Amino acid sequence: MRVPDRIQTVLERLVGASATERILISTAALVLSILVGAVLVLVAGRMTTCTASEAVYYFGTGFCYDPVVVFDRLFLGALGDPFSGGWSPDGQFSVTLRETTLLLFTGLSVALAFRAGIFNIGTQGQMVVGGMATALLVLWASSLVSGVVGTFLLVPFGVLVGAVFGGLYGAIPGLLKAYADANEVITTIMLNFIATGITLYLVSGAFKDPNSAANQTVPLPDYAQFPTVLFGGRQDFSLVALAFGVVAVGALYYLLEHTAFGYDVRTSGIQPDAAEYGGVDAARTIVASLTLSGALGGVAGAMYVMMILGSFQSGVPSYGFDGITVSILAGNNPLGVGFAALLFGVLKSGTTVVQFATDVPPQLVGVLRGLIILFVAMPEFFRLVGKRVTDTGSKVVATDGGTPGGEADE
Amino acid sequence: MDTAVHLDGITKRFPGVVANDDVDLAVERGTVHALLGENGAGKTTLMNVLYGLYEPTSGRVLVDGAERRFDSPRDAIDAGIGMIHQHFMLVDPMTVTENITLGNEPTKWGGLAVDRAAARDAVVDLSERYGFDVDPDARIEDVSVGEQQRVEILKALYRGADVLILDEPTAVLTPQEVEELFEVLEELTAQGKTIIFITHKLGEAMRAADEITVLRDGRNVGTVEADGTNREDLAELMVGREVLLDVDRPPAETGDVVAAASNLAVEDDRGVRVVDDVSFDVREGEVFGIAGVDGNGQSELIEALTGLTSPEAGRIEFLGEDITGSSRRQRIESGMAYIPQDRQERGLVMNFDLVENALLGSQHSPELGPNGRIDWPATRDHAESIIEEYDVRPPNPDSTSESLSGGNQQKFIVGREFSREPELVVAAHPTRGVDVGSIEFIHERLLELRKEGVAIVLISSKLEEVQGLSDRLAVMYEGEFIDVVDPAGTTEEELGLLMAGERPDEDAPDQAGQSAAHTESTDAPNGGEHA
Repeated sequence: MRVPDRIQTVLERLVGASATERILISTAALVLSILVGAVLVLVAGRMTTCTASEAVYYFGTGFCYDPVVVFDRLFLGALGDPFSGGWSPDGQFSVTLRETTLLLFTGLSVALAFRAGIFNIGTQGQMVVGGMATALLVLWASSLVSGVVGTFLLVPFGVLVGAVFGGLYGAIPGLLKAYADANEVITTIMLNFIATGITLYLVSGAFKDPNSAANQTVPLPDYAQFPTVLFGGRQDFSLVALAFGVVAVGALYYLLEHTAFGYDVRTSGIQPDAAEYGGVDAARTIVASLTLSGALGGVAGAMYVMMILGSFQSGVPSYGFDGITVSILAGNNPLGVGFAALLFGVLKSGTTVVQFATDVPPQLVGVLRGLIILFVAMPEFFRLVGKRVTDTGSKVVATDGGTPGGEADE
Repeated sequence: MDTAVHLDGITKRFPGVVANDDVDLAVERGTVHALLGENGAGKTTLMNVLYGLYEPTSGRVLVDGAERRFDSPRDAIDAGIGMIHQHFMLVDPMTVTENITLGNEPTKWGGLAVDRAAARDAVVDLSERYGFDVDPDARIEDVSVGEQQRVEILKALYRGADVLILDEPTAVLTPQEVEELFEVLEELTAQGKTIIFITHKLGEAMRAADEITVLRDGRNVGTVEADGTNREDLAELMVGREVLLDVDRPPAETGDVVAAASNLAVEDDRGVRVVDDVSFDVREGEVFGIAGVDGNGQSELIEALTGLTSPEAGRIEFLGEDITGSSRRQRIESGMAYIPQDRQERGLVMNFDLVENALLGSQHSPELGPNGRIDWPATRDHAESIIEEYDVRPPNPDSTSESLSGGNQQKFIVGREFSREPELVVAAHPTRGVDVGSIEFIHERLLELRKEGVAIVLISSKLEEVQGLSDRLAVMYEGEFIDVVDPAGTTEEELGLLMAGERPDEDAPDQAGQSAAHTESTDAPNGGEHA
């Protein structure tokens, strides 16, 4: 009885938190993560050696790394230093938005599957397949059109190709789960390896660019890549792609909340028996939501190829896996994915700034990033601690039951 | 004789409902005390008060003569009270020993590790002392329901219970297991334990209990010695005012066959044939009732009818078309409404609010989900009208269905299903857990639908309900229709015998399987015959 009782009270407390409380707690979590991170930076700075002139001094003690500089670079650096003058849209801010764009799509991909009660770890593989297909088919199509017309035709075409191939690749675990009862966690992980392996084989053999040492396809012509608008092209960021991502956030939100399909998906995810009762075809919903999830992953691959690399290359960064964290951080809510992707984008882009600006080892910056995500993802924990501190155990005494006749326990 | 448990003037109110009204209950040590009453009479509420799950609105709880206040079941357990719920609280993949000791494991190495050997010994000792037949190393998922129940009892004994409350313990058991359970209860009382046993079955109360207290509409209407009473007296105490028989039920004006099943066979997850060669039909304006002890295939039969399981063999027709292979959604769209028996698993999405729940099953309908787009304002109106018409409390469409009491959840489901303008209503326990006033309301609505020419298939564990509402009544036993009778011309005793599997040998022409032969329009003005 004790365990369910406790879970009950935990839930009641969680439910009890108001919106303001939640915002306050999330902010507190961020601040706390920075404080803990600062201590780590100081300790690490104490354990390395540097010249006296390089060191900073706090409380009369010298440290090799300065936490203030580290966090300043991590956040303000990622935003391109908006307060120090000379802010340019084509600077680090573009990098942040570029990362955000890709994480939007992978985050939405994971979130959609999650809402249907499916853990899609395969977004990475779907992205790889979508990216590869985009590179090859756009390359083929780019010989047919060119110039501005080419951009107008090829970019949507490439996104569509990414969506279709990513979607098909997502449909495989969907079909396996719906009709063969195969666990999607295992199938999607395996399909990630298969995607990586097959694309490496293709890109190092049949479709390899003969003029390059790397395992990559022939680069796409410029007119077959995302156009740069407002932001310069130095950082491989396109506002068009970001706008597309924002539209995707809104569209997915609408799909989930305002369509019958979304209702089917949410019902199956939360209570499959009730969904079945309500006439939802479980198998079809699984296949459809994993296909759509895969399509979103595939679009991320298309963006990666047509916005960032300009070709497909083996060794795609782990945007798909980061999408899992983004989605969980967002509570699998499409609108939340927007904010979570931005936070993630800032952290990813800020990391490189920190590495340029300080001697702090990249591993330590990784730890700081991890701390921030961990703390922000656990607001529940902090909310509980906060509550427990406020009402100090009136209930604690009563649980020992006492002996017959001893009713004086309240 | 001394009193183990004394409930003194317990009143428990819920918003809008008085579940217990000034109930006195005294239970002697070392006896089996049956708490008898219809569903919704307040039996479980009263025991939940004793077990610390509810705080009484007024009244006192005395254990061993001392007044106690229980804030949680933990306190009740510490006072030596154990409760075995109708739905077992066991962890399926864990062993019997692990389940019994869970939360109170003997430890070793200063509390760092569970002392598995000591735990096993304790369980073996306990089961030997009370003559229980359990395998301490078996996994719960591998043992029978009867054995799971014994594990629940051992769990309570392991925690030092002197008073055991059993909530409808026989509902899930086979007749043999029921007999075994009663032997266990005898052994426990012989060793000084006290048993309170909640039931709505007269026979079981008479068979197992020393004393019987009857609850009706939340009030104690009498405590009698089991030896000094008879079924007729008990039935009268229990039912009192004959709620169902007061319903104005005009003779059925039956029309065409709406739904028909022929030679239907259904297997459960383990491949056991739980419905075997069942045939029946139901016509416009007719209530076809199916009675039987829970677990004799009724649920599987209606799940096959409503499209939630696919039958192994046989054929289902609806409005003249073969729907054996059609999907659940097709059946909903062609006019089949279904009040499911698991309202919290199937009938409602617990985390959704009532607006979202009002949509369940209609999300693709042209009214609420035209062109795949959900009309939320219309859905909200729909939810509000259900809430108003069926008196769902609290009357707030934004509350989650989880926050509603069971009776209100049920009223909401009934309202939603009845408002589909169905051709066929399949109703499983439509009034389970609903207060008396609403029971009558739901019954009236059911009969209104019948009058409008809707066909109704009704299953209920309440014999009075199926008997009072049905035009024809099939009795199901071990997956077969053992007989189809005219409910007005059959006594409760006769039905009870049929439900226990005794075939009606002298009634040769009215055998099971003949159900397709429609009984003559049941114009018997029902009244007489009850108990």
